[in-house]
Amino acid sequence: MEPRLQPLETIAYGAIGLVTFFAIWTIVVLSGAVPHTFLPLPTAILTRFTFLLTHSFAGATLPQHLLASIDRYLGGFLLAALVGVPLGLLMGWFRWLDDILSPIFDGLRFIAPIAWVPFAALWFGTGYGGPIMIIFAGAFSPCLINAHRGARFVNASLTEAASMLGTGHFRTITEVLLPASLPSIVAGLRVAAGLGWQSLVGAELIVAANGIGYMMVQGQANLQTSTVMAGMVSIGLVGFGMDRLLRLAERAVGKRLGRPA
Amino acid sequence: MQAFAETWEGQGDMRPRMRRTFVAVTTLSALGVAWFVLTTETGLISSGRFPDPAATWAAMRQLAGPGYAGSTLVVHVAQSLKLVLGGFLFASALGVSVGLLMGWNRKAEALINPVFLLLRPIPPLAWIPLAILWLGLGDAAKIMVIVIAAFVPSVINTSTGVRTIDPTIVEAARMLGTPHWRYMSEVLVPASLPAIFTGLRLSLQAAWTTLVAAELVGALAGIGLVLNVAQQDIYPAMILSAMFVVGVLGWLMTLLLGLVESYALGWRTA
Amino acid sequence: MGSICFDKVDKVFGAGSGVLKALEDINLIVADKEFVAIVGPSGCGKTTCLRMVAGFEAPSAGTISVDGKVIIAPGPDRAVVFQQFALFPWKTVRGNIEMGLRNKNMPRAQRAPLVEGALKLMNLESHAEAFPHQLSGGMQQRVAIARAYVLDPAVLLMDEPFGALDAQTRVVMQEELVRLARLNPRTVLFITHSVEEAVYLADRVAIMSRRPGRIKGIVDIKAVRLAEQWDKSERIEDVMERESFVHLRSNIWKSLREEK
Repeated sequence: MEPRLQPLETIAYGAIGLVTFFAIWTIVVLSGAVPHTFLPLPTAILTRFTFLLTHSFAGATLPQHLLASIDRYLGGFLLAALVGVPLGLLMGWFRWLDDILSPIFDGLRFIAPIAWVPFAALWFGTGYGGPIMIIFAGAFSPCLINAHRGARFVNASLTEAASMLGTGHFRTITEVLLPASLPSIVAGLRVAAGLGWQSLVGAELIVAANGIGYMMVQGQANLQTSTVMAGMVSIGLVGFGMDRLLRLAERAVGKRLGRPA
Repeated sequence: MQAFAETWEGQGDMRPRMRRTFVAVTTLSALGVAWFVLTTETGLISSGRFPDPAATWAAMRQLAGPGYAGSTLVVHVAQSLKLVLGGFLFASALGVSVGLLMGWNRKAEALINPVFLLLRPIPPLAWIPLAILWLGLGDAAKIMVIVIAAFVPSVINTSTGVRTIDPTIVEAARMLGTPHWRYMSEVLVPASLPAIFTGLRLSLQAAWTTLVAAELVGALAGIGLVLNVAQQDIYPAMILSAMFVVGVLGWLMTLLLGLVESYALGWRTA
Repeated sequence: MGSICFDKVDKVFGAGSGVLKALEDINLIVADKEFVAIVGPSGCGKTTCLRMVAGFEAPSAGTISVDGKVIIAPGPDRAVVFQQFALFPWKTVRGNIEMGLRNKNMPRAQRAPLVEGALKLMNLESHAEAFPHQLSGGMQQRVAIARAYVLDPAVLLMDEPFGALDAQTRVVMQEELVRLARLNPRTVLFITHSVEEAVYLADRVAIMSRRPGRIKGIVDIKAVRLAEQWDKSERIEDVMERESFVHLRSNIWKSLREEK
């Protein structure tokens, strides 16, 4: 095993890596090996990004597209969490419910979330409801599975202690299973957030009349590589931000429950 | 009442696995009956929204026989599988190698990691418009997005696997005077294998989702194209059939990988 | 051949304000074929002593040498038996035992009889093709000992090897180790927090003080053992009931007690 690097060394190597990455990119473009319309300079993407912040493209500015996307995303993600987590806990507590529902979810699990697009569009339209269903399809599984696993693997002595104290079903679930499986649930929410975000982008690529995915499709149709890449940058930034937030939540939960993060 | 109690007891005595299978079969049959009743029998769900069993069966036969969206089922499936397996194998071979390098060599990790962190938050599906812009609607664009999708989980899980190797195992290997190349092949790789397989499973899933999405956006053949055309034709029975095929293929590939995994990890505690 | 020499060894962990002096002025010579046990309160640095002989860690000051050669890196001349066994779970019992010999580039024909011998020595013949997870803790530790013995090491380093075993298995393994020591004597450095185990197994027992760890005393067991003819007893409990054993044990125990 190699010795650990000093913090300064890590930063230096990281800087070398990044500089090399952007240098190769710039050289490839400037040498004329690849046309600008095909691969713009990194700076051109930044310029396009700031331009789109204030100027309308495909019917709205970049922040407006992003807001439309985030609006749908929050709807779908919250729905997935509010259905998936309680259902997972119930399945973890009531064995018969688990036996009945598991085969159904096991079957549905193998259908890629994006394959729900046609039905989503047919049932709920392409405006708000359809994309929400796709996000739901992407985010639901991790919510359910992690709550289920968390509840199933709660230390048996805790549930036994609860029943010894005469605790009812409802209170056992809310006051024993839920807190005990919180770390697992939050971890599941983090996975769900990532998958939901990616499903939303997919849904907007295929069916939508606004949103960040739609903006990228329009950029692609107009052969504007810089718009497409500016869209990728904003998707990456939002995704990164959400992941950070949920990571903080994960850490806070771990700390509260006295476990190492 | 007495008889009822006895059968109930009897069920309780069944082995858990048998009981689960029994309940699963019952649930799925009940679901099938409910489907029939809600669509064909009572028409509570209109055929424009969700197909009835007969229409679905007809759509499946159409897909298998005369074909739909330009080709028969076999052609669509072969096209999709060719792309997903090719892309997955290439990406995971590359991803596992890079992951091993990053886990093994801290300088390599420090060099690669920031670029990786920069690109990682961009979900694979977001690469589709760029891939189409660069490579068009053919196979090349799809392979590009599949490779991007499958590469990331392989790298992350492999390098984590290498990093979290039990330090006493490393010390035991050093104490036995294990030379570098043998340390790599007989200690480091086997020790990381469980994590590598976790990565491969995630990679396969991501590759499959991404391919279906890419084909939905635009393709000349493939199961995603069937979904796309069925959506435009407003043909619910065909949508359901195509989803069924997507699910079965996803299941088969996962099963195959699981078999490889249990073979490769035969030494592990059950 | 195999003598270990600690010469004015210090060990410091950390740097700056977080610095921690773990070991101070350790001087100890373990003679060839001698069995020395180190006992001490937990956290006194006894495991660090062993890890430095193994070459996993370097002393901050002073030197440690085996047969006059200063230690710089781990190697098969100093075989370690770990508390947590540290077997390769993906290798069979035979594969684990064979690993060190293959690393010496020994041809197969030459390896085979040595591996068979090690399997036989530890009564593992019938489990040669089993994977570690299929064996009990005691059996796994037998494999680890066989893996160390087969290398024919100059010194054997045992870091609380029986600490992870249940009480009964532990006794069996202790008796086994005494049998091995008679059959095939080695230079052994043995770390334990069990005074009984140390007195039963060792020729000499080194007692360490609390942090920073120093050697506060060395008790000679061998002279008493030979005079009292402990070796005539087959079973551990016959030895432990003897007055000479009880006397040694309480002396060491009292000395340790002052450290708590």
